[in-house]
Amino acid sequence: MTDISALAESPRSTQPTTFRGARTALLRRFRELALVPALVALVVLGGLVNDTFLTKANLISILGSSAALALVTLAASLILIGGKFDLSLESTVGIAPALGAMVVLPASAAGFGIELPSAVGLLIMLVAGAVIGAVNGFLVVKLQLNAFIVTLAMLIVLRGLQVGMTEGKTLFEMPESFFTLATSTFLEVPLSVWLAAAAFAIAGFVLRHHRVGRALYAIGGNPAAARTAGIRVDRVLMGVYIVGGALAALGGLVLTGYVGAISPNQGDGMIFTVFAAAVIGGISLDGGKGTMTGALTGVLLLGVVQNLLTLAQVKPFWIQAIYGGIILVSLMVSRLTSGKAQD
Amino acid sequence: MTIRILLPRRTAATAAAVTASLVLLGACGSTGDSKGNTATGDGKAGKTGVVLPFLTSPFWQAYNGYVPAKAKELGVSTLPTVNSNSDAAQQITDINNLLNQGVKGLVVAPIDSAAIAAGLDQAERKGVPVVAVDVAPDRGKVAMIVRADNRAYGTLACKYMGDKVKTGKVVQIMGDLSSINGRDRSEAFRDCMKQNYPSIQVLEIPTEWKAERAAAGLNTILNANPDLKGVYMQAGGVFLAPTLQQLKAKGLLHPVGDPKHITVVSNDGIPQELDAIRRGDIDATVSQPADDYAKYGLYYIKAAMEGKTFEPGPTDHNSTIIQHPDGNLEDQLAAPLVTKENVDDPTLWGNSLGR
Repeated sequence: MTDISALAESPRSTQPTTFRGARTALLRRFRELALVPALVALVVLGGLVNDTFLTKANLISILGSSAALALVTLAASLILIGGKFDLSLESTVGIAPALGAMVVLPASAAGFGIELPSAVGLLIMLVAGAVIGAVNGFLVVKLQLNAFIVTLAMLIVLRGLQVGMTEGKTLFEMPESFFTLATSTFLEVPLSVWLAAAAFAIAGFVLRHHRVGRALYAIGGNPAAARTAGIRVDRVLMGVYIVGGALAALGGLVLTGYVGAISPNQGDGMIFTVFAAAVIGGISLDGGKGTMTGALTGVLLLGVVQNLLTLAQVKPFWIQAIYGGIILVSLMVSRLTSGKAQD
Repeated sequence: MTIRILLPRRTAATAAAVTASLVLLGACGSTGDSKGNTATGDGKAGKTGVVLPFLTSPFWQAYNGYVPAKAKELGVSTLPTVNSNSDAAQQITDINNLLNQGVKGLVVAPIDSAAIAAGLDQAERKGVPVVAVDVAPDRGKVAMIVRADNRAYGTLACKYMGDKVKTGKVVQIMGDLSSINGRDRSEAFRDCMKQNYPSIQVLEIPTEWKAERAAAGLNTILNANPDLKGVYMQAGGVFLAPTLQQLKAKGLLHPVGDPKHITVVSNDGIPQELDAIRRGDIDATVSQPADDYAKYGLYYIKAAMEGKTFEPGPTDHNSTIIQHPDGNLEDQLAAPLVTKENVDDPTLWGNSLGR
């Protein structure tokens, strides 16, 4: 246990007894909040630029539109912390809900025509996500294939499977239960937001306080050392891939409810935004570093920027350039506030 | 001594280098040299290749379904359709592959109006006629361009909406501004509003044809402008579901005729849009004729393969052929506006499509 915590770049060392230990812990704490000043600056700016921005309805709408991205970013962050990649998450966002919907829909609405109850469809959706994660995990962990390349291949395969399965059709006419997460609210906030918040809270807690979470940081930091320390590296990584796949499927369901249909390119290109959110939130692409709080601030930052750009009615031709520019500036701000080199 | 040893070596090296470059030069060529290499007489003579831009929209999916049926009707023999999957470079490769298979005609729906030029040049060198569907190429020779006037879509939608809304705010959910069709619809709608309905303010949501962008954008716009009067969706196939979903979530989905109804005009004419018109969720859609795109794409390629040519002017199918400044002809197919009055018209492709 002591071995593990020494190896792990855990966000809070178990016993920061020495002065140096305390300082490092403080620095880490700071690092995970590095993006907060940029986020605050943007919110203030938003409030000044537009009267609507700070209204309750608009803030809720930012959260609602970020929920799906948050769940997929959570999945990507967990896998990244373990030192691996999963690019195929964006295709899981499409194919898992599509599969779940097609077993429910009648043949006349582009379904398989077996018309299972929607509860079963939702279950199949989650299981499909987990199975895809398991396949990725098997290829990367057991067969030792390069995670980047193999999940890139999976991204293409899964997208192709979805287009093939649906024959390119957009799935409309889903039962209401497929939309509930995005359309029902609790305390005025969509269920999808609560779900994403809960998922982040649980993941954050496990990473901080649970054996498995610490093991994940250790593996991401140095898998060989982690193995020597007695961590069951393969099992933890497999688990992370499976959880990641299921989270991406859930993100897909949230997106389905938000959009009201499943197009064959649902989630297409999303992985760029997901990685952007994770990385500007301080998740290291090299593994072993980053926190859930950081990843969440990354998601929120992107959500706020997108919302502001729409509200401000920026000339459409310039939106991408400004969007990218704001991400760049945020990165610089977080570099300044954290005082640490990014990696 | 050293010099005497070095000299011959250097000479030898130079000679070798020169020889090597000569060999390389000899091997050099251009992709244009392949003229006359066309594989012919292998039993595939007279085949037509059909290239699709992507298959992930209900519209192109419908087009893809119409191709074999219309080909049979017209007696054109086609190879299975090829899907370029939104990749302009892949589309050039697809065209090359088809040419190497010895097709005698090509019906291509370009992904990009400029990037298609390389593919058109290849076809021209091999003497294979090309009909462009949906997108008019900026450069290059084609036998005919078959498309509906996308500027007319924007104008048609603007006039219908303008007459209903008269004053206030409307939003247009735009496609990808790097695509010609997205640009045409956006500009035409904006210009027509400015010219004819100065008291209407046009808000915009750029989406790159992505449903989730449309949903998030519309949600934000509705927060900021609860007095919104109208929505123009540039592609019903992509934006119908997110628009209805957001209106529903905000409690703003009232049937046509209700004073609180937000006017929604769409574009494409897929069956789900026609259903939404019947329900009174949306007011109108511009039906982009997927069946005619397939039919006349094949009709003109057949004519071109037989060596027939056409002149600018009205056609026998309720459309007009116009001539572009670069000499290419374009048959501007009619794209009818569908409202509650004519939504059950059996000639609309959205009604005849077996879902």
